[in-house]
Amino acid sequence: MRVSVFIPIMETTTMSKKVLFLILLLLLCFFAGILLGSVPLAPINVLRCLAGLDRDSTTYILVNTVRLPRAAGACLAGMGLAAAGVILQSVMNNSLASPNTIGVNSGAGFAVMLALMLGGNYATAVPAAAFMGALSTTLVIFLLAYMADSSRTTIILAGITVSSFLSAGINTIKLLDTDITINLTTFMIGSLSGITFDHLKYPAAAIVTALLLSFFLTEPLNILGLGDDIARSLGLNVTSVRLILLVLSSVLSGCVVSYAGLLSFVGLIVPHICRRLFGNDARYLLPCSALLGACFVLTCDILGRVVFAPFELPAGVLMSFVGGPFFLYLLFKKKGGRRVNA
Amino acid sequence: MLEFRHVNVSCGLVPILNDISAVFQTGEITTVIGPNGCGKTTLLQCLNGSSKISSGSIRLDGIDYLSMPLKERARRLSFLPQVRTIIPALPVRTLVEHGRFPHLGFSRRKTQKDIAIVEHAMDFTHVTPYAEQCADTLSGGIRQRAFFAMTLAQGCDYIVLDEPTTYLDLNGQREFMDMILQLKKQGSTIILVLHDLGQALRISDTLVIMQDRKIAATASPKECLRQHIIEDIFDVRIKEFSDDEGCYYFFC
Repeated sequence: MRVSVFIPIMETTTMSKKVLFLILLLLLCFFAGILLGSVPLAPINVLRCLAGLDRDSTTYILVNTVRLPRAAGACLAGMGLAAAGVILQSVMNNSLASPNTIGVNSGAGFAVMLALMLGGNYATAVPAAAFMGALSTTLVIFLLAYMADSSRTTIILAGITVSSFLSAGINTIKLLDTDITINLTTFMIGSLSGITFDHLKYPAAAIVTALLLSFFLTEPLNILGLGDDIARSLGLNVTSVRLILLVLSSVLSGCVVSYAGLLSFVGLIVPHICRRLFGNDARYLLPCSALLGACFVLTCDILGRVVFAPFELPAGVLMSFVGGPFFLYLLFKKKGGRRVNA
Repeated sequence: MLEFRHVNVSCGLVPILNDISAVFQTGEITTVIGPNGCGKTTLLQCLNGSSKISSGSIRLDGIDYLSMPLKERARRLSFLPQVRTIIPALPVRTLVEHGRFPHLGFSRRKTQKDIAIVEHAMDFTHVTPYAEQCADTLSGGIRQRAFFAMTLAQGCDYIVLDEPTTYLDLNGQREFMDMILQLKKQGSTIILVLHDLGQALRISDTLVIMQDRKIAATASPKECLRQHIIEDIFDVRIKEFSDDEGCYYFFC
């Protein structure tokens, strides 16, 4: 079953080469994410630890309790947010949509703060709350967009408004409840430091499940991208497919927010880079975006640890440094150049 | 045979279609005409669910059309809507392949048959040379033919087209009408909405004339002309000229 998803990719050899390249790149980034950091590790020792040897060495402890969960977290965060971006862009038929621009991440973040204030368990209650927050924000934005007859600017403006409203909520909770043990600055910008496997287990399972499910829905995603009228003529149940996809994107972005905070721009720029590199066909776009998203977050996280070592910049800071200018480029590019799916 | 029986459509309390009963005969070209805003597009949108029917029924070859699953509908009747809010940045071939969507199983794998149908649809509409180009980089005429190819790739006996020639220049319109006549010869049932009355009179077997959200008349083009129905409804006068290639109509 799972294999069939990748068959269209293998139909074209250039596409399969590109995907293979992305997979190799991801493996490289993942390995680098374990090697590099404030204390650089020797590749051979790391390989021995990953193979389960040298169980008593400090390298083993460092790899298994710090570096490996962190790299896995970064990898899943990039995959989840980039895939959520692709889904949201298609579902809303809006090239500017992403978990960040339409306020889904802030919704999840607000719910996380709320759950922490009420004393929720970090491993279970927080991811669940994040998902609920993400889903309800997505639905609100979607209904707003639907009522405003899908004007693309309106959706983004509504998203920004909801986003800043919820950010105000996050700040209020933090100020009112000083007991919350969360670093607000790094949470707001997104950071991967201090992730443990315990934090990661439920969100990771949910992200992987949602990713696999969304790979089965790439064809409906393409059909939805043709516009509602044509999608209906082709026999797609537009309302239910859209709802399923919105739930999936909420799972993806909500779970990422629950452990990594409000990472911005991955969900926006990675799908756009991939549209240019691999085209707009969701069958290729979704898996490629997930792979490249993982590489992007891993790289930003590594840079944040290495560039100013022993000080550490949160991954979100580096992503904003790269993402901000790129977003502006996209905004201005729209006037002259060829539009991407808009 | 596609049959509308006492179909009503309303948006909130505002009626949009009022007690529509119409029959579209198998193997014929039936054209819906009428002044702007008379409900032609809404009538067709009942077929893909874009317009919700408040009462009445639609029967396709004697089966209740509205109770069919959506994919089953799309395997029997293909409908190309008029509105193009989105021009997908997809290669023409991929766009046309989407026409096979209602036929694909869960794995979404395309069989040799699917691929052959897609190739044939592209050949028929002359878009094969543009197969690898992105639809959003093509001219309006080729783009329309690509969407038409997608509709044909659905492989349905019933083909419904809402103002298919609106985006086309004169030559393009003539080619399009030739394609429609060819499809009729191959046994398809064709339902059109057209604004060009001359075109409608020339190619249709039956005209369904709408006015004020109702069906004003259903008759063959000859009968419509003889009874001056079009002249009354559109408030025009028709002059007919004919030579050995056929009839031409002028409206003044």
